[in-house]
Amino acid sequence: MSQRRAAAKAFFSPVWRWLAACLAITLWGGGPILAQAAPPPTVPRHESTNVILISLQCLRPDHLGAYGYKRDTSPNIDALGKQSVLFENAISQANLTPVAQMSVLTSQYPRVNGMVSFEVDPAQVSQNTLPTILKHYGYTTAATISSPEFFMRYDTGSGAVVNPGDVFSRSFDYYGRTRRGLGGRSIRKVPAEALQWLTSNKDKKFFLWIASGLIHMPYAAAVPAPTQAMYDPAGYTPFWKALPLPKSESADSNDPSYEVFSRVFRNDFYLGFKPVYHLSNEDIDYVNARYDAGVRYTDLFVGEVLKLVESLNLTKKTLVVLQSIHGEDLGEQGNFFHYDVTDTVIKNALMMRFPEGEFAGRRMREQVQGIDILPTVLNYLDIPAPHEAQGQSLLPFLNGEQTALPNEYAYIDRLPWWEYTLSKWYLEFKNAQGDYFVPAEKEKLVEYQKMIKERFDKLEAPPGDIAIRSNEWKLVFRKDKALLDEVSWWNFISGSKQATDEIELYDLLKDPLEKTNVASSHPEVVAKMREKLSAWDKSIDQQKATYKKEDKHLIIPYP
Amino acid sequence: MHTLPCPRRFLGLIQALTLGATLCLAGPTLAATANANLPLKYKDYNIVLVSFDAMQAAHVHSLGYPKEITPTIDAMAKDGFNFTQAISVSSWTVPASMTWFTGVYPSEHRLLNKFAIYEPPVEKIANLKELAPSIITLAEVLKGNGYATGGFTGDAGVNGVFGYKQGFDVYFDEAKFGDMEDSAPRALTWLEENKDKKFFLFLHGYDSHGQCLPKEGLDRRFVDPGYKGKYTGSKEEQEALREEGLEKGAIQLDEADVAFWRAVYDEKINRVDGRFKKFVDGLEKLGIKDKTLFVLTADHGTEVYEHQRFDHGFSLYDELIHVPLVIKLPGQNLSGTIPEQVSSIDVMPTILDLLDVTMPAEAKQQMRGTSLAPAMRGETVNRDVFSETDYRLYTFKRSIRTKDGWKFVYTMETKAKELYNLKDDPHETKNLAATESRLAYELEQKLFAHFKSIGHDLTKETWKTGLSPVYPSQAKGWKKK
Repeated sequence: MSQRRAAAKAFFSPVWRWLAACLAITLWGGGPILAQAAPPPTVPRHESTNVILISLQCLRPDHLGAYGYKRDTSPNIDALGKQSVLFENAISQANLTPVAQMSVLTSQYPRVNGMVSFEVDPAQVSQNTLPTILKHYGYTTAATISSPEFFMRYDTGSGAVVNPGDVFSRSFDYYGRTRRGLGGRSIRKVPAEALQWLTSNKDKKFFLWIASGLIHMPYAAAVPAPTQAMYDPAGYTPFWKALPLPKSESADSNDPSYEVFSRVFRNDFYLGFKPVYHLSNEDIDYVNARYDAGVRYTDLFVGEVLKLVESLNLTKKTLVVLQSIHGEDLGEQGNFFHYDVTDTVIKNALMMRFPEGEFAGRRMREQVQGIDILPTVLNYLDIPAPHEAQGQSLLPFLNGEQTALPNEYAYIDRLPWWEYTLSKWYLEFKNAQGDYFVPAEKEKLVEYQKMIKERFDKLEAPPGDIAIRSNEWKLVFRKDKALLDEVSWWNFISGSKQATDEIELYDLLKDPLEKTNVASSHPEVVAKMREKLSAWDKSIDQQKATYKKEDKHLIIPYP
Repeated sequence: MHTLPCPRRFLGLIQALTLGATLCLAGPTLAATANANLPLKYKDYNIVLVSFDAMQAAHVHSLGYPKEITPTIDAMAKDGFNFTQAISVSSWTVPASMTWFTGVYPSEHRLLNKFAIYEPPVEKIANLKELAPSIITLAEVLKGNGYATGGFTGDAGVNGVFGYKQGFDVYFDEAKFGDMEDSAPRALTWLEENKDKKFFLFLHGYDSHGQCLPKEGLDRRFVDPGYKGKYTGSKEEQEALREEGLEKGAIQLDEADVAFWRAVYDEKINRVDGRFKKFVDGLEKLGIKDKTLFVLTADHGTEVYEHQRFDHGFSLYDELIHVPLVIKLPGQNLSGTIPEQVSSIDVMPTILDLLDVTMPAEAKQQMRGTSLAPAMRGETVNRDVFSETDYRLYTFKRSIRTKDGWKFVYTMETKAKELYNLKDDPHETKNLAATESRLAYELEQKLFAHFKSIGHDLTKETWKTGLSPVYPSQAKGWKKK
C-alpha cells in the first residue's frame, strides 16, 4: 500500500495522475465502479504550452550575474533568472557537447542512449528524444543551431546539408543552422534565425530549440566590436603574437583559439615539446575577458529572444528553459577548454521560467542533473515521461510534494577521452585546415596519431572515465589509467610522462577548484563513493543497448 | 448454513424483467442486470475449473463462431455467465495456467518457460516453489478451507513437476499431451470417491492442441471432401509448421491448406466438447451437479495461420490470448453475457469470492485481479488488461489491451512497437504505432508502469534471446557456444 502511495505521489500532472489512479485501481482490486474515474478536470498543459529550450555551449554559471559574477556580463539572463527557478548545482552528464546534450534530450546517461562519441552510428542512438515525444502531442518542432557539434559530424559528411533523419536533427520539422561566410569566419555565431522563426510561427504550438556555440573557442571570434574587446585589459597584446607559431587559420588572430590553448598545459605554453612561455595572470585575464565578451554577446541575443517572446504575447504560454551544455576550464588549473570533468566544466547554468510564473525567484541549491530536464518539462506539460528516462521530474520537489533530495549524487561520464576524438578525425581535420605543427612536432605527430589509433581500434567502445559528485565531494575514477597515460595529449605535447591518479577525490566545499586530490586522507569517503559509482557503472553497462539487428534468434530448426 | 442465493425466489421477477427488457433493448447483459441484488455467495459448494487447452475464443459458437461445434460449452454459456472478452495473461500453457492458481502475473509466479535454466548439461525445470516460494495456490487455499482437491490433466505444460500439483490431494499428469478421454474418466472416478465432500476439481485436456490427436484418428468430419492437399493433420506436420514459422517469421500456405487445418481444429474442439458433455453427465449421475460451480476457460488460443504461423506462445495476438470464459452457477436463470474486458488474472479471486472462503491475509495480498462477481451483478468491470510471453526465449513480448479496444504490443528484445485498433482491425493486421504515435507512446508508458508496479522494471532487465526448449525435438543439435 505504502509503495503504491509513494508511486502515485511521484506523478504530478493531472492526466498522468488520473491514468495512474485508474491503473492502480485496476491492479489492486478497488471496486470496479471506481474504475470509472472522472476525467482530468483541467485541460492538459501540452494542449497550449510552447517550449523554448536555449542551450549554450561552454557557459559557466559563475560567469553570470545571476550566479554572482563580478562583471555585468548577463543582464538579460539575470532577469530571466529572477522570473525562473534557478538551479545552483546543475550537473552535466558529460564534458563534451554532443554527449552531454543527448543526455538532456533523452534523459538517459550517455552509454544508455548510445551517444558515446562524435562518431557514433546514428542507428545506435536513442530516437526517443524530447522533440520526438512532443511531436506525438502535436507540437511543431524547430531548431536553430550554431554549434557545429549538432550537425557537422552526424548529418552529412560535408555538413553542407542537414539530413533531417539523423541523430540530433530527427524529429525536427525545421532544423536551421548557421553557416560560414559573410557574418564572420566562424559558424559559431548567435543563431539569430530563431527570431524570424518565432515571428513566423508564433501561432503554432511549438518546441523551439535554440543552441548557440558562440561562447565556444575561439572566444569572442564572432562577437562584433565594441563588445568583443570591452573587458580586455588595457593595452594588452595576446602573448602568442610574440611566439614563433606556425601559420594557421586562427593562431595569428586575437581570438583565444584551440590552436593556441591546446598547447597550454599547467599554464606552460609548449612548442616543439618545450615549455617556451609561462602564462601570466594578465594573459589569463585576457582570455577570461574575451570569454566574457562571448557571454555578454550571447546574453544580448537571449534578451532579444525573450523580448520577442514578450512582444508576441507568448510569455504566458511558453516554458523557457535555459541551460549550459557544459562549462569551460579558463586557466584555474592551468588548462583551458573542456577536457576533463572539473566542476568548472560540468557545472551548468540552468533556469526554467514557467508560463504562470510558478516558482519564480526560487533558487535551488540541491544538485540536479542534465537528465532531469526532460522529465521536468514533460511533467509540467502533463505528458508521461518515457519509461527509458533515467532522470526525474523536479516538480514534486519544487511543489513540496517530495522532500527527499532528487539527486544526492550525480554521475558523469568523461566520454570519450579527447584523445579518442583526436584519433578519429580531429588531428586530420586540423592538419587539413592549415600548418598547425612545427617541423619537430610533425614527425612525432605521425607516430602519435598511429599509436593512438592502434590503441583505440582495439577497444570495443570509446574509452572514458567516470565520476560521482555530491555538493560536498567529487570522486573521479580513471577506468584505464595505463592507457590514458599512454595516449595523453598533454604528455605528447609536453614531451613528458606525467601520470594521472587512478582515483581523485576533491573536497568541493574547501577546494571548489579541485586543486588537491584528497583521496588518501579520506579513505571512508572514497570507499563509499566508489561503491556507489561502480554500482551505477555496472547498472549502466547492463542497460546499454546490446541488441544488434543481425543477431539471429536461436531457434534450432525442426530436423 | 449455506448462504444460498435462493434463485427461485427471484425467478418471477427475473423472467419479467428479462422479457420486458428483451422486447425493448435485446441487451446482452439484461439477465446480469436482473441479478443486481444477488449475494452470489456459494459457501461450501463444489467447484470445477475446466481448461480446454488451446481453445481459441473465435472457434466457440457462443462467442460468434458460425459453426455449432461447441454445443455443451454453448449451453453452459447460455445458462451461465458468458464473458465474451476474456483475455489470458499469456499465450501458452506453462505461464498462462499458473495464473489461475496463483492470481498473479507470469512475471511474478515466474513459471515463464519449461526450464528455469537450460545450459546443457545443466537443465533445471521451472518450479513454482523454487521460483516464487511465498506464493499460495488456489488449491492450497481451498484445501485449507476443507476442500478435497483433485487435478486431472493432460500433463506436458501442466505437469505437476512445475508446481501445478501444489495443494492438490490427487494430481493426474501421466498421459503426455493427453486429452479428456484420459483425464475426465479419472476425474469422475475420483468424484465417486469424494462426492460427499466438498471438492475442487481441475479438469484439463489437450484435445484441441496441435500435439494431440484422437486415439482412433481424425474422422475429418469438417474437412472438405475435395481437399487434395498434402496435409493429413498429424502432430508431426503441426510441429514442422510451428518450427518453420518460428524460423522464418512467416510461412506460405494456400487457402485450401488453411481451410484443412481449420477443419481439423474444429474437429478437435467438437470432440472435446463431446467429452466434456460426458463428464457433466457423469456429475449429474452422481447427483452433485446442482451443488457445483463450473468455470470453463482456456489457457490460451492457438494460431491457425491468422498471422502466417501455427501454434502459440510466440505472439500476443487475439487468436492466442482471447479465450472463452464461462461461469455457470448452480440453479437456473443466473445468467448473462458480459461483453466487458476481463482477464484470466481474475479467475482465482472470483472463485474464492463465489465460494465465500476464508482467505489467508497473504493470499488476499497476493491477488492482482478482482472478483468478477460484481460483473455478474451487472456492475462495470471493464478495464485494461496485460499479457506477456517469454516463449522458449525466442521472444519476450508484453502487451496491454485497453478497455476501449486498442492493443499495444512491445517486443523487449527488438523494442518493436505494435498498435492495433481492434474495433476496425480485429485481426490485427495494420500496425498503427507510427500513425497513432501519441496513443502508442502513452500505452507504452502504461505498459511499463504496470510491470513496474508489480515489481518488474522492464527497463532494468536484459533480454537475450536463446533456447529454452518446450519440445524435445527443438533441442536437437543444440550445443552450448
